[in-house]
Amino acid sequence: MGTYENKNNLFGFLLILPALAVLGVLYIYPLIRAIYISFLWKGQLGLENYTKAFALYRKDIVYTLGITAATVIIVFAVSMVIASYLRFKNWKFLDYMYRLPLFIPFLIVGHAMRVFLAQHGVMNMIISRLTGIHRLPGLASQWLGLTLAFAWVLSPFAILIILGAFKAIDDSYVEAALNLGSNKFKVIIDVLIPLARPSIMVALVLTFVRTISSLTIPLMVGPSKPTMLPVDMMFRVNYYNDWGVANALGVISYVIVIGLSMYYLRFMVTERGGLKH
Amino acid sequence: MSKVKVFLVVFVTILLIGVAGITFSQKDIPIHVRLNMMVAGDQNMVDFFQYEIAPVFEKLYPNVRVNVVGTGPGPAGSRAIIQKLQLEKQSGKAKWDIDVAIVHEIGAAWAMKDDLLKKYTDFLVAKRLVTRGTDKMALGVNVDGYVMPMFHSQTAIAYNPDYVKNPPRSYEELVKWVKEHPGKFGYNGIKHGASGISFTAGWLYWKSGQIDILTKGPYDKKYEKNWKSIFTDLKEFNKYVTMTSGNAGTLDALNRGEIYMGPVWVDMFYTWMREGRMDPKIKLLLPAPGMPGQPMHYVIPKKAANADYALKLIELVSSPKMQAKYIVDRFNWYPAIGDQYVKPYVSKETLGRLYRDITPEDLLKYGKPFPLTGYFEDMLEAYEKYTE
Repeated sequence: MGTYENKNNLFGFLLILPALAVLGVLYIYPLIRAIYISFLWKGQLGLENYTKAFALYRKDIVYTLGITAATVIIVFAVSMVIASYLRFKNWKFLDYMYRLPLFIPFLIVGHAMRVFLAQHGVMNMIISRLTGIHRLPGLASQWLGLTLAFAWVLSPFAILIILGAFKAIDDSYVEAALNLGSNKFKVIIDVLIPLARPSIMVALVLTFVRTISSLTIPLMVGPSKPTMLPVDMMFRVNYYNDWGVANALGVISYVIVIGLSMYYLRFMVTERGGLKH
Repeated sequence: MSKVKVFLVVFVTILLIGVAGITFSQKDIPIHVRLNMMVAGDQNMVDFFQYEIAPVFEKLYPNVRVNVVGTGPGPAGSRAIIQKLQLEKQSGKAKWDIDVAIVHEIGAAWAMKDDLLKKYTDFLVAKRLVTRGTDKMALGVNVDGYVMPMFHSQTAIAYNPDYVKNPPRSYEELVKWVKEHPGKFGYNGIKHGASGISFTAGWLYWKSGQIDILTKGPYDKKYEKNWKSIFTDLKEFNKYVTMTSGNAGTLDALNRGEIYMGPVWVDMFYTWMREGRMDPKIKLLLPAPGMPGQPMHYVIPKKAANADYALKLIELVSSPKMQAKYIVDRFNWYPAIGDQYVKPYVSKETLGRLYRDITPEDLLKYGKPFPLTGYFEDMLEAYEKYTE
């Protein structure tokens, strides 16, 4: 029995080996190298890159965190509303339309939002026509515009995941709650969301990671200062050939994401432990 | 039956012409050459060489096939080319893969430092027609003999004459104007495109009063003593300014009337105008004491396998007729060689457009190079430190 299991293990290992190799070469090795380079200053190990990163980009780190958090909150709100609605009502039009941004590349989104949200852009023109108010601020060059652009392009992912989880919850739970006198709003808060919590967390973590690592959208939308960390990283490499500080900024982003993942993992463990299957 | 006959006759004729073509064209030089070209620039520049210059060149030299590879715009594109050359040098190969490259000034400067280039312009006729001196110095590095400019690009201030009746002619007047019209001057900072960097360099030229030292050297930190106040002043100035999102963002904002003035790349401005994407009323000016522009350079790597054909290609694209047709008419750049040599071959329409607002005299007086690499990097970092 033991040998059979070992053989099986080996076979399983061989099956995942290609994937592992790709992960090792394209992810783990560059990660280790990035961390190493971030401590390399003029050929010697030290903390200078981090000192410089914090001296020059402290504001940008906070700003990046803020934008990312705001995006996650908006995406959460939007996806809750749409996923809940589609859980109860089968509106085909909305079901197709919410997926639309999924098929549009970030680059195009950035450019479209830059035109749409500009001071004299399409959105403000429509608002001016409707309300008669002519002096409107240009959201395209503000943090709010950047957050909206992110929320627009990232919400469909979250909705897709969360709606899937909502639909997987058996109707009997919902019907039981409704029969006992609950309304739909309470069903969402007390039944659907708690049961779909792991999926919601996955959706939000994915939103967080995709926002914090996006380069093209903050290059085209949002204020030119402060700016998101990937823009700073690109700037360090392109104009100073300074991989040290660029990697230090990268490692700082990693740490932020890892911090979040730790929280998520701990949450998952307690969740599983708490359920006691 | 007759159809088959006709077909056969046509087929054989084509075959014969083909065979004759091949035998005649390659009779004297039976060597196949693959000319590898690397271009630091936008895709339109890569397409230009691959689809327009390559066919012309291959017609002249049928045994040559031109292979163009693009490495992307900006200094990053040049960096990729130089890194490739460094690797070839380290590998110790007798012949290198790249035969000809187009790099920014900074790329030429980097390449000189590592001794990666071949001295070739002694054999180049077009070198006699260069008038602006950019073929001799690149960001303070002596490149004489190693580079031939492809074109000159220039930044300038675009303004809408509907709102700006008496445009400011210098940075000093501009500051006054901006304080009187808050939010109506826009530029893109330093991280979202080089027109903003260029505006910043002009600011530094004006405030420091040391254009010569900044552009010709020597590089010494002692000249940067008062930079803190220069860039703190720029921070104050920025309070009255709209920040746009990139080179294109400035042009868009001008078109939509959100801003009345802003720094732009001249070639991009006129290309947009020709394509009908730009309000035709908008004009350009070069403010005193000047704003930077830059050439891009043809270089031949030190151990290029096909340096002979590389030289012929550079000669081909540097003639006054070719410069007029492509560099000026098509891309709205300023020519690499003297304007007077190119002018007779440029279409009247282009001539009126390109030299309408900014005269060749303006260009000579206020068209400046970018600061030396050392000053350039310090300038960007000073902006990050004191202005942002």
